[in-house]
Amino acid sequence: MIKKIYLDPYIFIGISLLAMVGVLILFSASEGDTTIVFKQSIYVVLGLILFLFVSQPDPDIYRRFSPLILFGTLVLVFIAYFFGPEINGARRWIRLFGFSFQPSELLKISLPLFLASFLFDKKLPINAKQTAISIFFILTCFLSVYIQPDLGTGLLIAASGFLVLFLAGLSWIFLGITIAAILIFSPFIWNNLLEPFQRDRIWTLFNPESDPYGSGWNIIQSKIAIGSGGFFGKGYGEGSQTHLNFLPETQTDFIFSVLAEEFGFIGVLLLLFLYASVLLRTFYLAVNARDRFCRLVIGGFIFTFGFNVMINLAMVIGLIPVVGMPLPFFSRGGTSLLSIFLMFGIITSMSTHKKFIPK
Amino acid sequence: MDFHERQLERQSFSQRSLLVASLLLIFIVVILFRTFSLQISNFTEFDEASLNNRTYSVPVQPLRGEILDRNGEVISENIATFDLVTTPRDIKDVDAFIEKIEKIIDLDKDEIDLYIKNFNSKAFFNRELVLKKNLSEIEIARFEVRGFEHKEAFVGKRFRRISRYDEILSHVLGYTGGARENNLDEQNRFRSNSWRDAVFSYANGLIEGKAGLEKTYNQSLTGTFGIKQFEVDARGRLVKELSYTPPINGENILTTLDIDAQKVAANQLGKRKGSIVVVDVETGGIVAIYSYPTFSVNKMANGISQLDYEDLINDPDKPFFDRSVAGRYPPASTIKPLVGIHALNRGQISWTTKIDDPGFFELPEDGRIFRSWGEIAHGLINLNQALIRSSNTFFFNLAYNSGINELADDFEKFGFGSTVCVDCILEDGGLVPRPQWKMNNLNFGWFKGDTVNIGVGQGYISATPIQLAHYTAALANKGIKKPLFLNNSLSGKVPSSEIELENFNQRDWRLLHKAMESVVESDYGTARRIRDQKDFLIAAKTGTGEIISLDSREEYERIREDQGLRDHAIIVAFAPAEKPKYAVSVIIENGESGGSVAGPVALSILKELLKE
Repeated sequence: MIKKIYLDPYIFIGISLLAMVGVLILFSASEGDTTIVFKQSIYVVLGLILFLFVSQPDPDIYRRFSPLILFGTLVLVFIAYFFGPEINGARRWIRLFGFSFQPSELLKISLPLFLASFLFDKKLPINAKQTAISIFFILTCFLSVYIQPDLGTGLLIAASGFLVLFLAGLSWIFLGITIAAILIFSPFIWNNLLEPFQRDRIWTLFNPESDPYGSGWNIIQSKIAIGSGGFFGKGYGEGSQTHLNFLPETQTDFIFSVLAEEFGFIGVLLLLFLYASVLLRTFYLAVNARDRFCRLVIGGFIFTFGFNVMINLAMVIGLIPVVGMPLPFFSRGGTSLLSIFLMFGIITSMSTHKKFIPK
Repeated sequence: MDFHERQLERQSFSQRSLLVASLLLIFIVVILFRTFSLQISNFTEFDEASLNNRTYSVPVQPLRGEILDRNGEVISENIATFDLVTTPRDIKDVDAFIEKIEKIIDLDKDEIDLYIKNFNSKAFFNRELVLKKNLSEIEIARFEVRGFEHKEAFVGKRFRRISRYDEILSHVLGYTGGARENNLDEQNRFRSNSWRDAVFSYANGLIEGKAGLEKTYNQSLTGTFGIKQFEVDARGRLVKELSYTPPINGENILTTLDIDAQKVAANQLGKRKGSIVVVDVETGGIVAIYSYPTFSVNKMANGISQLDYEDLINDPDKPFFDRSVAGRYPPASTIKPLVGIHALNRGQISWTTKIDDPGFFELPEDGRIFRSWGEIAHGLINLNQALIRSSNTFFFNLAYNSGINELADDFEKFGFGSTVCVDCILEDGGLVPRPQWKMNNLNFGWFKGDTVNIGVGQGYISATPIQLAHYTAALANKGIKKPLFLNNSLSGKVPSSEIELENFNQRDWRLLHKAMESVVESDYGTARRIRDQKDFLIAAKTGTGEIISLDSREEYERIREDQGLRDHAIIVAFAPAEKPKYAVSVIIENGESGGSVAGPVALSILKELLKE
């Protein structure tokens, strides 16, 4: 018998709205392809059910099972890598009952969960050994995705881990040294670790006109799409950049450009307002969470989510290089959507359950 | 963790998460700012870029204006034919396609080769390509029955530029040929790549005037291209038509030409090299202008085989050369009326002054002998008789007693030495020589003998047939000079001028006309052969243009064996003599006798023009 439904109305309304607008924009971006939209709608419904389901148990269950969850996810990631189908040169999917499933998306949840459960009872500041252990797990997760290859998701997963580590009280000295080291070695990274196409993307960012039909095409067309939307936009389904295929990847990375073209600056403001509301609410929930574990998990989740959104937007408006990162709630893709609902479900569970037996 | 530690931890978390949150906030602000800059500040720029992306304007070819003769008869027109038009974009395998078409429609090897050549260079996007022109009704029927099998080809109505008088109006009419796109888009209304998708009205695609009237009046003949605006996708495929502005066809041109006179001119000249120019004395309009050998403008405009073209180019008689406006000939004795006017005007002689003609002229300076044609002695003669009989000695004398610069001044007053036609193409100005010219070009000083030669229109002087017609019209108009033209709309707009001759009055003009009438009417006249074949009076002056200067008749008989060295037969004439309407100049290369060879030609044309 369910006596009480654990639900945060603000989050529920916020993410439902985002998901609905997302389907609406995807409908336009996919040229009214009903199968795509139908599939995405099913994921939204499934996501909401999942969201409600994971909201119900006490968050301690996540803490206790977090090592198992991380281990399970990593196993799935490796299954995908070794046994999954190769699509566009990448091995990141598992096919099950006609549905494709991308386990690496789940690492954005299981890694912060695990790190939070590992760090929640450690003394401040986090000592070197604990830092090393954390970084080991972060690197493992990052590399397991990076080799697929999927740099965008990998970076986001690493970011989610580092955010938890940082919020848990990573030593400032360590942080300072790391940043300095990255700055010093950046020329080495540029020359040795980046693929030529990645270097191209960075160059293109600073000078897209140098190759307007090659690497500059995407970003030029995206800027034209956004800019030509103007204040009120061209109208739903009327975006010429979108519908005449000038804009690339409209259903995934560049879906924000579709919204900006068809709904203009007004649409962009509304979208940012929705995102900001959800972020603000969860930020409030994080600060007021019942214990350190919940704080760390909610913080890690929500900041990763926030950076995910901002990086995608910054990418399509030409502020940072194109890295291949979907826009949460908007970009086509079931696993990504489900993992977001999962994430908000866990956040809800953590913010709605009172702690009965304080330690 | 004790309570204090927990407080510390909470505080640390709040601070750190606030830090991350501020970072996100900065992100949001930057993104908002940037989006604002794209969508609001630079909206116009991106809006235009998006419009440029999605729209594509394709030119729609107008029909060229027609060219009409002065009576409104069409002399250059657009004839529609049904052609087999293909859309290369839809053809995957050209050879298989040709094989398929060949089963229904006969194609010769040239057509196939040309098609494949063009196919490979132009088979992009939406461009159409004509495979076979001018399908017969049977071919159309055969194709249409199977039309559904050939989505990549259709029977389309396409125009060709055709003249019914393609051989007799060649030089004056000119022809059309492939045009450069930028010539047709002076207002820059189209992107350069949109020309390959142009909607054609002509089977030959984009055309422009390459010679003659087609070139001179190309702009007004061409008309204004229409615009078909399409929406295109990123691959350049046409999605739908957005708007259509129809083309404005070119303006018709009413010319001063008279096709009947032109036909007579061509008939009369026949296969003889030469030129005929007829001018309307009252306006200056060119009524007929013909040069032989000639070529077919239809072939030039609509496809001539490489072999035929090479034959034309390599022909030693130069069929493309328009003798009428660019052929330099010695005016010969036709210049004598002008020399007479010159001498009378400066008071050198009067109509009664008599000069002895022993059949030759001896240059006092060095005793050099200048002979008359045939070395006939005319005895003591005045200007009237000298003109009728075309005495060389008389005019040698006049020239000798004048000066080269004075003579040249008066020659130029009558249009020699410069172009005389307002809208002719490639017109040559001929040459009125002066001592300075000789020094510059031949590096020799001027001799008195050079002046003497010019007195009979020989030596360094040269004139074009059109200049002679212009000069004759000025004589007929008693000193009123009118620039010549072909476009009837110039009639009355070209300013005429009175030639300055202080001491040459109306009585002198009457006497001069009388003398020129007598060239035909008198028993001694050099053109007496045409005297009895007409019912109106003709005033004329004949000439025999020497190609090389010789000392005696015997010598000429010797070189006569070579037809190319025989003298040119020339006549200038105007009629009716009492109230002149038409002036004509006829030059027949190597025709030898102005009076009896060129004379009948001039007569026939004048009879055609003056018939009631």
